[in-house]
Amino acid sequence: MLNLYRKLVHLYPAEYREVFGEEMLAVLAQENENSARGKLIDRGRLFFREIRGLAGGAVREHLRIAFRIQNELSFATGRFTMRNGFRFPKTTIVFMLLILGGVLTAIKRGEDIASSVPNANPPLTVHVQSVHSILLGGMPLFFALFYAAGLIGWAILFALRRSGVHRLAGMSTEQK
Amino acid sequence: MSPNAIIESLPLTEPVLLILLSLAGQPQHGYAILKDVERMSSGRVLLSTGTLYGALRRLLDDDWIERFEEEETPRGRQAYRLTSQGRRNLQLEIDRMKHITRLASLRVARGES
Repeated sequence: MLNLYRKLVHLYPAEYREVFGEEMLAVLAQENENSARGKLIDRGRLFFREIRGLAGGAVREHLRIAFRIQNELSFATGRFTMRNGFRFPKTTIVFMLLILGGVLTAIKRGEDIASSVPNANPPLTVHVQSVHSILLGGMPLFFALFYAAGLIGWAILFALRRSGVHRLAGMSTEQK
Repeated sequence: MSPNAIIESLPLTEPVLLILLSLAGQPQHGYAILKDVERMSSGRVLLSTGTLYGALRRLLDDDWIERFEEEETPRGRQAYRLTSQGRRNLQLEIDRMKHITRLASLRVARGES
């Protein structure tokens, strides 16, 4: 039981654990020891109360830290922005221009091919699946991949931002 | 904490009020607060360790309580006590509750007569 409590305490943010972690575990151990003589049902209730309290507390503390960082950033710059140090590399512009050039060339080539082909459609020799059925099959997969990519990108940016603020908070005055 | 911020934080939730009342008499460590809250509420308010320490953290941040190392305890156990600001705010909450109960008594008595 104490091992499970220890794991749940480990879910709290590091800065919280440093201050309260050992103390919480000592309280949990003491409570566990005192309830050992009680009825099984009372021990069960205590166990579920503690599990719920620890899990809920860990979520609350993470949210509090996330919101605090957001507030610190917005107060520091006066507006909601990404971390000041974050910059897209200059090569991004070059890549974007190259992609734009590629897209324009492809459109032009497509138009040339379309104008060179006779207008009459050739007779169909194979069964062609309707466009709707193809799209409907691929759309959920496309959206799932799109959202997954977005989520991963957001998680990376969030992790970078958090680690940066924590490093700053951990610096002594002399270092600053 | 500004007076406006204190007024905004009132009324206190029952667990927070009971934690502050537990510390009003004497400094206490975590487990003693848990048991005291249970005793004061006749077993109605049962705090989990996570809830207790969440409340203690907020009260520490707002400077209502302070943390110190208990003397003559194994491994320097941490204990908590009210700050002067915390005591003042608790008194404000008690005054507010007194006012409400007085008002409630008057209104109920008037309704009965």
